Amino acid sequence: MRVELRNIRPWRHDLGHCLHATMGVLLAGHGADPLHVLGAAWGFGYRSGDLRREEYYVPFGARSLLGAMAPHHPVSSRWHRPPDPDAAWTQVRDAVRDGRAVAAAVDNYHLPFRPAYRDVHTNHLLTVYGFDDERDEVLLADPVPPRFQGAITGAEFAAARASDNPEDHDRDLFFTRNPIDGRWLELSVGPDLPPWDLDHVRTVITANLAALEADRTLPDGYADDGAGLFGGRRGLARFLDAAAARMRAGDDPEVVDETFVVAGTVLAETGVHADWLATAGHTFARPALREASRLVERVAHHWSAVRIIVANARTDTAAAAGDLEHRAVALLTDQDRAMDLLARAG
Amino acid sequence: MLHHVSPTLVRSAAAAAHPVAIEDFLDSVGVEPHSRTGRGAFNIWGNAFPAEELPCGTLIEHDRVPFRFPPADGERPDHLRCRGQRIPLPAARADWIHVLGAAERRTEDSVLLEYADGGVRRQWLRLSDFWPQTGPRFGERLAFRTSAMLYPRHEQRTMSPSVWHQRVPVAVPDGLSALVLPHNPAMHLFALTLVEEQA
Repeated sequence: MRVELRNIRPWRHDLGHCLHATMGVLLAGHGADPLHVLGAAWGFGYRSGDLRREEYYVPFGARSLLGAMAPHHPVSSRWHRPPDPDAAWTQVRDAVRDGRAVAAAVDNYHLPFRPAYRDVHTNHLLTVYGFDDERDEVLLADPVPPRFQGAITGAEFAAARASDNPEDHDRDLFFTRNPIDGRWLELSVGPDLPPWDLDHVRTVITANLAALEADRTLPDGYADDGAGLFGGRRGLARFLDAAAARMRAGDDPEVVDETFVVAGTVLAETGVHADWLATAGHTFARPALREASRLVERVAHHWSAVRIIVANARTDTAAAAGDLEHRAVALLTDQDRAMDLLARAG
Repeated sequence: MLHHVSPTLVRSAAAAAHPVAIEDFLDSVGVEPHSRTGRGAFNIWGNAFPAEELPCGTLIEHDRVPFRFPPADGERPDHLRCRGQRIPLPAARADWIHVLGAAERRTEDSVLLEYADGGVRRQWLRLSDFWPQTGPRFGERLAFRTSAMLYPRHEQRTMSPSVWHQRVPVAVPDGLSALVLPHNPAMHLFALTLVEEQA
């Protein structure tokens, strides 16, 4: 039997990573516009210690990664953890056979098209959109460079899904040591996605600002507690302040991993939201939204800096604490300017 | 009557160009020869550009602007990460500071222009991502795109990273004395050149 699902096309945002790319591919496969869905949210939330060592981590996404990424839309995702490698393949095959493309967690070490092939172990997410039983092939879509859409052998795919993802070298610093475990992800999209119109855009912006200003997380609406739960504008400031303080103390190597991974998720969300605002401003002839887009984009570019300031501080976190403190001041200033403009732009 | 032309065609020819000496500020190895030293780490993952595909150690011209591209042997620093360096500039009139560089994920920051009379002015430096299959975001022109990217233990022929040609406007062209870079280590610079446009 051979199945190759249609409507599977590459989608990627340059400030996102494999999670955004895979969700974009799958959303488009469901007929939804990836930017409209993935770009709507803009907030801040993190619970201390929640970090998972996977490139597709997103805060508050344990129950539904897609739900945490797109809280303004009736979409969700659900992890499946098959009990054994046979079930891992059978479950994915059945879903694709029934017309549902799915996401699969993989270790790049076993995938011939990934640069990490037979080099380093690192976990990754991609789309499964077909199979060919006779040829023993699985069809995968992976827009993360180097972009790939095509077939690999069933054995390669099985190895990538069964991997323990061990830490062999020091190159992949953040996303190893987390077994892949055959996990795969199923999306639920709709029904009744909101229309792409100005009312929807205004509703989304109002909700984003309300959560930020009320110091709450956007998904689930948890309130910043002044301690380990960081939410909204206050939580954002506290998160950066706490990271800088931990770096200055110099005795907490975990601060590098935690801040880098969380910064990556905020960078992605902020960058995609900037493009969402730009598209809305252009589509609905609202210049203020386009201007706000540029301010939000500037905030994203601060997160690019945060990510690399922290990542390069692994051997001496105290030396980089000042850079992070100064960056945080600039980021928060631009964050406030963007929020002020958005409050007036709707 | 208006004629719509591509931006390249309306760029003035340089009246004078002065490559800036940045040798003393190079602090990072991001380029490696095929013999591989293992020190190349343009990004945190240890990726590097192949030296044989860049004009290392030569005076080159890109889009009519001369640049002094640093030598690269995989041992000595061949570029700088922006960490607040204060770089003296040649005493020359300048309308633009052209740069060759790239970022780890696109980013932007202000640079500080210092003048001989004690004045300072800020301008924006914006750099796009060096990552393969990622286009310019800030109007840069592609300076170099290598056919492969180096990984710590192998060469990846399906990954082609980029070096961008960007420019920073200089609103007050006379009396520049120094350029102070931002504290943004995601920004990497290979070369700087002051350019005065023809009137």
